[in-house]
Amino acid sequence: MKTWWCYSGLPLVVGATLTVSSALAQTVDTARIEAAGQNDWLTYHGSYKSYHYSPLSQINAGNVGNLSVAWMHIPGRSTRGLQSMPVAADGVLYYSGSYSRVFALNGATGEVIWSYFPELDEALIARQTHSPYNRGVALGEGKVFVGTMDGRLFGLDAKTGKVLWETKLIDSQKLTVGFTGAPLYAKGTVIIGSQGGEWPGRGPIFAVDATTGKKKWEFLTVAGTDDAMKTWGNDSWRTGGGGGWMPGTYDSETNTVLWGTANPAPLYDWSGADFKTQGARPGDNLYTSSVIGLDLDTGKLKFYHQELPHDAWDFDSAVGEFVMLERDGQKYVVHPNKGGFVFVYDRNLAVKNVWPLVQNINFVKSIDPKTGELIGRRDFSVGKVTEMPLCPYIGGGISWNSGSYNPKTGLYYKLGQEWCMTLDIQKTTPVTTPQAQLNIGADFKMAPPPSGEIYGHLDARDPITGEKKWEVRYPEPPLGSVLSTAGNLVFVPDSRGILHAYDADNGAELWNHSDGTGHQGGIISYSANGKQYIAVTAGFGGMLSDDYAPNFGGVYKSMPRDDGALIVYSLK
Amino acid sequence: MKSSVKRIAALPVAVLAVSLSCVAAAQSPTPAPDSETFDVEQLFAGTCGFCHSEGGRAAGKGPQLMNTPRDDDFIRNRIKHGKQGAMPAFDGALTDSQIDQIVTYIRALKPRAG
Ligand code: HEC
Repeated sequence: MKTWWCYSGLPLVVGATLTVSSALAQTVDTARIEAAGQNDWLTYHGSYKSYHYSPLSQINAGNVGNLSVAWMHIPGRSTRGLQSMPVAADGVLYYSGSYSRVFALNGATGEVIWSYFPELDEALIARQTHSPYNRGVALGEGKVFVGTMDGRLFGLDAKTGKVLWETKLIDSQKLTVGFTGAPLYAKGTVIIGSQGGEWPGRGPIFAVDATTGKKKWEFLTVAGTDDAMKTWGNDSWRTGGGGGWMPGTYDSETNTVLWGTANPAPLYDWSGADFKTQGARPGDNLYTSSVIGLDLDTGKLKFYHQELPHDAWDFDSAVGEFVMLERDGQKYVVHPNKGGFVFVYDRNLAVKNVWPLVQNINFVKSIDPKTGELIGRRDFSVGKVTEMPLCPYIGGGISWNSGSYNPKTGLYYKLGQEWCMTLDIQKTTPVTTPQAQLNIGADFKMAPPPSGEIYGHLDARDPITGEKKWEVRYPEPPLGSVLSTAGNLVFVPDSRGILHAYDADNGAELWNHSDGTGHQGGIISYSANGKQYIAVTAGFGGMLSDDYAPNFGGVYKSMPRDDGALIVYSLK
Repeated sequence: MKSSVKRIAALPVAVLAVSLSCVAAAQSPTPAPDSETFDVEQLFAGTCGFCHSEGGRAAGKGPQLMNTPRDDDFIRNRIKHGKQGAMPAFDGALTDSQIDQIVTYIRALKPRAG
């Protein structure tokens, strides 16, 4: 038998570097990201404020009917679709596809300025499930940063795509997990969180020196402090899961990295109500399903809030943007959780409010909006869950893509998912050798909510109070990100493959266009040579979208799960 | 490449402690068959059931396995080698005798009562 877990990768494609554009990338630094200039999209979440909003208004509610495709780009090899959020600076669009293929494109024409295809360990990738998609790159100091499924972080020259450094951060051969989430750049540091959740490990978040690629610190989301260690009975921290698989943001006022963490493993516990002393992982399981504030320079934990103590439902906090708001002199951070609730914090992550975005929630009766305490939680024992299905479904009431806050309307546009699941809880033993295996802890199946049909919805709400202004419904939950603009528009790329534009004030549909395949990635707006563009990734497939064909049939039956395109729109 | 930092970051100690090192694995490449304690139901609840719903009784991300028309060789081959972008390969994680037990389990699958 071949010793596959030592095999270091087939020769794949050598990075092609080619400089053909006159577009000169100026340095992206922390001050520039803070300023969030209207022509650019400088981080995964747009800027540190995480609004997913563009101040551009050339394309607006009056002329959106004239929107059409300006150019397209096919990244190739889009296994499990195209899931990334492009970024843009100085008229150059950067984005990544599956296998961490990175492209720099002329934002006006789509001309390829450079591309870089890292050589990955294909034998390892064949053994991973949440792979080989990549959700985005980060910009900073004239570099483009990207993580890989085999546990590395790359620093590429933003002008040429040349590899400036490469750092192995995690032993993916052993732990199976790697990096799919975009990194975050702040003050000379690149932050990236590993996958975790259902994988028996300790879900580290790393900081790396942007200039040298040297590792600065590592924070273990599972039992990363002495206090946290006490919240994992029977040494269960050894296989606790965790991780921080989506990028958070940076608060320069306190020099803090804000990050959301994944669920503990196994996802479903058999503890019953005595979860503090019984079951797979007795205790609260810190710092899983939490939002954490880490000192940028040291990686020390400054503050945290565990959104779901002893998460027994896989409703982690790794999903969800950190929307930085100010209202009546008060500063807030708004963070959606996969369970379908939206948490409102102050800048030190103290709970200010909690409101539900979705209707079908029954893993708890409610969450105390003053304290964040879970009220009436459902903790299962071994066997079939009989009284009612668990809501939401494992895909979440809120998925990992981002909503959008529009400072002009004061509304937060966010997608919610109404679906549930049947569940049969079983005891499992974590498998860590020779290579970590998934640890789910139940057999399950998607099910309609007790109240009726499965559906998805775009809500326009007050981000602090949750008050709803309008809602648009979809027969199957859309899974992509949302964009809103100063042109009074909200864009929603849906699962069937239609890109919709709505009036930001009232939700009236003003325009739509088919991108030819389902969406489950990012959408941004930027300006190149004085012209506004909307860029969206299309390409379906992966851990949630693979559920669509068997459950919804229709267009999903023939929809590819290994294809994708970047589609860029402008006015005719 | 200007500078290449290929040092492997310090691993969580506990994980290392319970894991074989790469070198050790090369010396003894076949994971010890542990057929006595091997429990296919548990394997489904831990790993396979994430995609094969209801322990293989219903379609999910992966197809329904109950009443599959595939022959034993096809099933063994799929479990060993997986399928790119669809199902992971388990040849490193499972021994041949364990895979045989999975085939037996799949063949015996019946709808759950209730
Ligand atoms: C990440 C999802 C995933 C996991 C985990 C997974 N499978 Fe699969 N499996 C699939 C998909 C998707 C297919 C269909 C592949 C294809 O396109 O032919 C499949 C096919 C199969 C088939 C062939 C069925 C047929 O009719 O073609 C068998 C048998 C099977 N899987 C067994 C298992 C077992 C046993 C495990 C656990 C050790 C497992 N699978 C884990 C997704 C998964």
